[in-house]
Amino acid sequence: MSYAAQKFLEDAAVKSADLAHREVIRRALDSYDAAHLRGRSRIHDWEAARQRCQEIKREAINHLDRYLLQFEEKVIAHGGHVFWAADAQEACDYISNLATSRGVRTVVKSKSMVTEEIQLAPALEKAGITVWETDLGEYIVQLRNEPPYHIVTPAMHLNRRQISELFKEKLGEEVPGDDPAELVALARRTLRRPFFSAEMGISGANFLVADSGAIAISTNEGNGRLCTSVPRIHVAVTGIEKVIPRLEDLAVLWPVLATSGTGQGITTYSTLIGGPRRPGEADGPEEFHVVLVDNGRSALLADPEQREVLHCIRCGACLNICPVFRNVGGHTYGTTYQGPIGSVLTPHLRGREFEHLSYASSLCGACTSVCPVKINLHHHLLRNRRNTAAAGDTKWSERMMFRAWRHAMLHPRIYALGGWLGRKTLRALYGLGLAGSIVDPMRVWNLRRSPLPLPKESFRSLWRKSLGRRGLGKKGLGRKDLGSNDL
Amino acid sequence: MEATTFEKAENPSRSRILERIRAGLRTPAPDAHGPASSGVIFAPVENPLGRFQQECAANLMECLLTADINESAADLAKVLDSLPQGEIFIQDAPSLRRLLELAKPARPMRWSTEGGPREASQVTITLAESLIAQTGSIFVTASCGGRGASVVAPCHIVFATIAQLVPDLQTALAKASKEGKLESNSFACVISGSSRTADIEKILVQGAHGPRRLVVVLQR
Repeated sequence: MSYAAQKFLEDAAVKSADLAHREVIRRALDSYDAAHLRGRSRIHDWEAARQRCQEIKREAINHLDRYLLQFEEKVIAHGGHVFWAADAQEACDYISNLATSRGVRTVVKSKSMVTEEIQLAPALEKAGITVWETDLGEYIVQLRNEPPYHIVTPAMHLNRRQISELFKEKLGEEVPGDDPAELVALARRTLRRPFFSAEMGISGANFLVADSGAIAISTNEGNGRLCTSVPRIHVAVTGIEKVIPRLEDLAVLWPVLATSGTGQGITTYSTLIGGPRRPGEADGPEEFHVVLVDNGRSALLADPEQREVLHCIRCGACLNICPVFRNVGGHTYGTTYQGPIGSVLTPHLRGREFEHLSYASSLCGACTSVCPVKINLHHHLLRNRRNTAAAGDTKWSERMMFRAWRHAMLHPRIYALGGWLGRKTLRALYGLGLAGSIVDPMRVWNLRRSPLPLPKESFRSLWRKSLGRRGLGKKGLGRKDLGSNDL
Repeated sequence: MEATTFEKAENPSRSRILERIRAGLRTPAPDAHGPASSGVIFAPVENPLGRFQQECAANLMECLLTADINESAADLAKVLDSLPQGEIFIQDAPSLRRLLELAKPARPMRWSTEGGPREASQVTITLAESLIAQTGSIFVTASCGGRGASVVAPCHIVFATIAQLVPDLQTALAKASKEGKLESNSFACVISGSSRTADIEKILVQGAHGPRRLVVVLQR
């Protein structure tokens, strides 16, 4: 088992037993659920919207070279620069060199998961540059020196009391009553100076619009607007998969992203930036750089079965609905991208050390049902599991267990004997009060739960006694004939 | 480092990445040509003005409907009177010069032709390219006083006419595309309310880093 897998199991056990943490997450996600449903009701045909978004992204990803070149040509024509970075190191080197060559001492950053992925802030700090995260949630987790908890809501795991104490400790100001409005006002006052003194602003991009050569950024706070308006250099860091063909595609992508991300009809600032300040414009950066990051994406593109994972628009809806995320929380994943999309994507971006995340799912399919670009997430998790097994990256004991199970399934009497032995053994252990103990084969389940009730009879026996009498023998038994308990 | 350092010739990974993309795409995805969507995604907007007012309220914006330039100036003066003292930043446009002459604000004014808004600006006044009824949004570009005009000050006032109302986002973007707005401007933004955040316990707070108030003076 890799170190990452071991740590995931340990952290998941701790977090899922932390009731206070679960309560904070439950409240946040209940609020999201209500807003998300309201948002969806504002769209006349949600399924048609999802399908349209899927088509847009499918067209873009399956003609990625063409649309990236079109985007690049437009940006350069408008006086901007485009840098193609094969990996995190190249991207960080380019931006660090650009910053040092331009005498940059302070950088203001708006929220960007790609900059988290490539670890840009530590690279800039290593070069002696001060980096200010300016999205409120990002600023809070930066002050705590921890990574974002969630791709849309970085400080979801904290309550107002914890944030108030953090601000008191780090900013030296006490907020009476931990009032969220006052906490926001304090962050606004603190970040005002960096906004107006920074020489460089760094943003991400939600979309790259090929026919216009513009980046599209969706934000609510206005920090992204300030980062891209006030400093004299603007650098946008983004993955190569963010390109879309046409400006008009945003007419559906913007509302769908906002609805899935926060439940809003559209984010407060849906911004398009197509280059540095033009002659005659009142303000804006003198330089505009777009850094297109590959970092494993082209390898994923080469896998036709999983190519659609690159359709993701990072709305976070799959995290919010995932029962595993809701219980283990964002930091447990140990990755930039958490939840189902992170579990699918990370093994491709960071290698086999993260294959265990494919198992951090009940395969319930809730993630697939809410994905606004219709990525078949739970099937991709299953495919990752298959790839792991095919590569022989499974434990010997697991392989033996599956071999034994297969044998039993092919030999009904052995299966029946196994079931009988299992029931007898577990009943004896539970009778001795050993549920959850080291000798309990169901220890992992029973450790933190009441023991599973053991049936008095096997399914085969029940079938013979009652179910079989229903006279379904000739027709066979369908799913509708069985209650959920039977299954 | 000179700007030439960032030319394509000095970006060795560019050709490698493009080659990898092209090689990857040689094997088509099984769903590369799925069925086209056919449903109506957004219900048509039948009453643009009513819808705009309704969405403005939902977005926590103020929409002041006026009959003529004199009423617009009077409403503008009232909004300005309610704000703390400080400089006004104004997009330098003939219609706004006329409006400000009528409103006669007793505070310093800075026009966009003198540069961007100062950090201490209390209010900015701009025009818009269009108003979008479907989302209760104002569509601005760099031509509307620059980038900072709609985000630096605690209050942003937009002066627009009903003729600028378009029914939906699709129409606004198609119009912008047709008119080459992103060819002639480095910046455009669909603004749908005042600056806000819900990063603390999902509680909505207005005025995170941008304007706490967004006021549209909408003249018939």
